[in-house]
Amino acid sequence: MSQAKPIFELVDQLPTNNMTVYALKALDFVVPGQWQNLVGFDNTIRTITGETDEGVIQQVGERAIQLYNDPSQGYQRAMWLYQTVNSAGGALGAAALANKISERVSFLSFLDRVTPKADKAQTIDLSLKLVTELVAFCQINGIPGDSIGDFVASLGDYSGESLMRMAALVCFDGLIPLGPDFILKTQSALSQLNPGDLTQHPVFKQIGGLIPGGNPAGQLGFINESFASTQGWMSNFVTSRNLTPDTVVSHLQNFIEISNDKLDYLGAFLDMTTNYYEHTGVQTLARRLIERAVAEI
Amino acid sequence: MIFPRTRQILAGLCLSLLLLTTACAPEEPSRWDQVQQETTQKQPAAQTKTTTAATKPVSGDQFNKFFPQPGGGYERVYTQEKAGFAEAKLKQGGKDVAMLAISDTASNPSAAAKYQQSSKTIAGYPAVETGTTATSVLVSDRYQVKVLSRDPGFTKSDREAWLQKFDLDGLKNLPNTAQKS
Repeated sequence: MSQAKPIFELVDQLPTNNMTVYALKALDFVVPGQWQNLVGFDNTIRTITGETDEGVIQQVGERAIQLYNDPSQGYQRAMWLYQTVNSAGGALGAAALANKISERVSFLSFLDRVTPKADKAQTIDLSLKLVTELVAFCQINGIPGDSIGDFVASLGDYSGESLMRMAALVCFDGLIPLGPDFILKTQSALSQLNPGDLTQHPVFKQIGGLIPGGNPAGQLGFINESFASTQGWMSNFVTSRNLTPDTVVSHLQNFIEISNDKLDYLGAFLDMTTNYYEHTGVQTLARRLIERAVAEI
Repeated sequence: MIFPRTRQILAGLCLSLLLLTTACAPEEPSRWDQVQQETTQKQPAAQTKTTTAATKPVSGDQFNKFFPQPGGGYERVYTQEKAGFAEAKLKQGGKDVAMLAISDTASNPSAAAKYQQSSKTIAGYPAVETGTTATSVLVSDRYQVKVLSRDPGFTKSDREAWLQKFDLDGLKNLPNTAQKS
């Protein structure tokens, strides 16, 4: 874990119009009005606290920065988790893409650099992202790292950028790459997985140390248990909103030109061109820090 | 009277001084740079931590039982529980209307200092208004109990009413063992 950027810089530097932002805006129909792309540290303090007094804003910001910089508080670990689970996606030239996104992006022009992942890799990705959400949740909120029960209970209260992150997880890492039965597929893939498969996975290699369970076999058990405990929430999320790969794709088509015979590649394309996990993770952390800071000053 | 030559020299001096100082000035310092520096520079651990070495903060779970009970159309959802801190959302009709929090000022002594100027009390405890959205009291010169509006309909008088719904006297009697490190 490296000493990364200051929290105020992370929030100040959140993009306002890149691929991630467009992709998340396309998901507004899933969680209407829940996510506004809140950027800028000062702006975030003002919006969350409703305060206009500069002195109060200064105190809140300073306390939030202090809390973030205290490694014993766990906020930095959560940030590192959000960043790391996201970085495994791919390395399609983001700068090259940035030039294109002000126009609609032609999907076909990127196909030569995009390869869909095998289902097995994709299911591990999905379950690791879910476990990351759980572990980061516990780090941010200060409950023991294996509180699956607390996490599942609080999923019902998820809102704003946290709910959007879960919506993106379900749509971009579940429905699109794996299809409508992604939950069953993942569950069955997880049951056939052995600890060796897990330790080979690039994301697990990095974040494994923070996943409860003691050793890879125990951690695999924890991942299985986490997925089993949250699948009810996910399946209800999908059915209550009538989500299908088609409805999600049709909304994405508002900003990417996708030809229907290339949908297999869409999951890989999103994986490589967006970092919704880190983007919304920065926003979640900023919110939690600011909410605590304003209560403590 | 100043000779022309002296004027030339003076002007040149001023110009180079100006160039020097502007070249050395950091570019647009942020209002957050100082605290960032103070909390990250390599110094004894006690100084970079948010807690002072002298008093350890009470663990957050000890605070939960002093929070107001939900009911009457209000829902209470705990959100954070850290060393010296516990926080819950107050919701009405599915909407967040306020945040409720108890914090141990052992982690942040300047928070307790502001009550010294307070002339107001709520339920017998010194009370302070911060900004336009927060009202708080200090219990046992140490525990800050705060209600923060998150909806314009949740007014100052609502905040004062909800502060009184905390078990403030219970908090005052938090066992002494918990108050020592």
